Amino acid sequence: MSGHKSSRGFSAALAFLAALLPSAAGARASGSPIPHGTLELIAENQWVTPGHEFFLGLHFQLEKGWHIYWVNPGDSGEPPRVKWQLPPDLSPGVIEWPAPQRLGTSSVVDFGYQDAVTLIVPVHAETSLAAEPSAHLGAEIKVLVCREMCIPGKTQLSLTLPIKSQPPAPDVRTRELFAAARKDLPRPAPQVWKFSVDDARDSFVFAANVAVQIKQAIFFPLVVAQIDNAAPQVLHPLPSGFRLTLRKSDRLLKPIDRLQGVLVLSSNGAYLIDVPVSKRGAQTNNSSSGIPEIQSSKEVSQQ
Amino acid sequence: MKRSTLFSMLVAVVICTAPLLVAAAKVGQAAPDFTATASNGKTFRLSDNRGKYVVLEWHNNGCPYVGKHYKSGNMQRLQKQWTGQSVVWFTIISSAPGNQGYVTASEENEYLTKMHAAPTAALLDTSGEIGHLYDAKTSPQMVVINPEGIVIYDGAIDDKPTTDLSDITGATNYVTLALEQAMTGKLVQTPATRPYGCSVKYSGSTH
Repeated sequence: MSGHKSSRGFSAALAFLAALLPSAAGARASGSPIPHGTLELIAENQWVTPGHEFFLGLHFQLEKGWHIYWVNPGDSGEPPRVKWQLPPDLSPGVIEWPAPQRLGTSSVVDFGYQDAVTLIVPVHAETSLAAEPSAHLGAEIKVLVCREMCIPGKTQLSLTLPIKSQPPAPDVRTRELFAAARKDLPRPAPQVWKFSVDDARDSFVFAANVAVQIKQAIFFPLVVAQIDNAAPQVLHPLPSGFRLTLRKSDRLLKPIDRLQGVLVLSSNGAYLIDVPVSKRGAQTNNSSSGIPEIQSSKEVSQQ
Repeated sequence: MKRSTLFSMLVAVVICTAPLLVAAAKVGQAAPDFTATASNGKTFRLSDNRGKYVVLEWHNNGCPYVGKHYKSGNMQRLQKQWTGQSVVWFTIISSAPGNQGYVTASEENEYLTKMHAAPTAALLDTSGEIGHLYDAKTSPQMVVINPEGIVIYDGAIDDKPTTDLSDITGATNYVTLALEQAMTGKLVQTPATRPYGCSVKYSGSTH
């Protein structure tokens, strides 16, 4: 064996290592192509432990300016859809949607994500899974990617995880992505916070008592065609919170019992909202009757 | 004092809400009138069609949701079916010049021929005036107007908000449903839905 040859082998090895090094995520498989981005199926743990719940993630990386959609896409577009192909002993839960952003123009407003987002999905592993050495996880994803135009994409993802009886151990390669995604998940509001929603003819008046004055808040409705997405959300700061006027959608022809969605306080994170709608304002036709009745935040619950 | 406060509050309310109340068609209310030039060079006025049902179809030939209904022939089938029953069908293009879906009259005429489309006319709403008048959000957004000039349906074409051609079979078509129910003297069961599709590419809508 000549020295020349071995040095070439050495530089090749160095090049190989260098290719792996630049990012912490370098050892992860690169994502599958979707229009103007990539999508990767990731797991939070190194293996599946029978009898335990674990988390999968759909990690989207999008080119600058392109976006995908929240569960309520807003005025246009549609959310990504997943068709799981999992062993019978694994049951997927629903997507945990991070708080979205308002996107679009003055007349058409959408709710979605730009740059990068990880959609987390809990999966329960039955104890009966134990007999298998590994689990093959597959997912068919349909996703609409938009900028000034929209392009539908469809991709097949897969991931094989060992099955071990040891307690779950996190995968360092995906830890940061899951941590970042959890940071953006809306969480239940503190028990002491009080919310109310008043039906005031053309608007819903959302009042929040959160102990401090709030000057900026955005509400994202979970259900389509309840509020006018493009209408400005008018915020009145109150000494211990705020009042937010949400114009009703022209397509809302029947009264609603509850207003559900995500409230984003710029300083303070995102919260799950599920508040009964008080019809008082609608009956009196008086939308400016001061601070509406306050309901207990016990009404705030998971979507 | 009290009275003047109340007055200024009222003024403030009127000022705040007035721009929002202008036009914007609503189900159950009169369809705002408009005049437009079609790709065939003719001028059409909505109110000239009193006594007939009118369907408005927002269109953008580059939108995959519109593509779903044209590649499958679904839209053309609906156009032929209903214009065959004296319904007036206006395809409306509200894309601004330079934006996706914008077409010249001759480009639209070529498209109509190539796709075997059969609307009464394709209206070139380059300024977006008609689109804003109806607060059209998406292509294909659909509006149905009854012979009295009242909006009886506004929303999606059907209940499958996807770009998959295979979703057309088995979908509930809201336009057909509204026309069938209204024509047989029934109440339109689903008068408003969230329109699905691509955002309408109005002037100023690019980033």
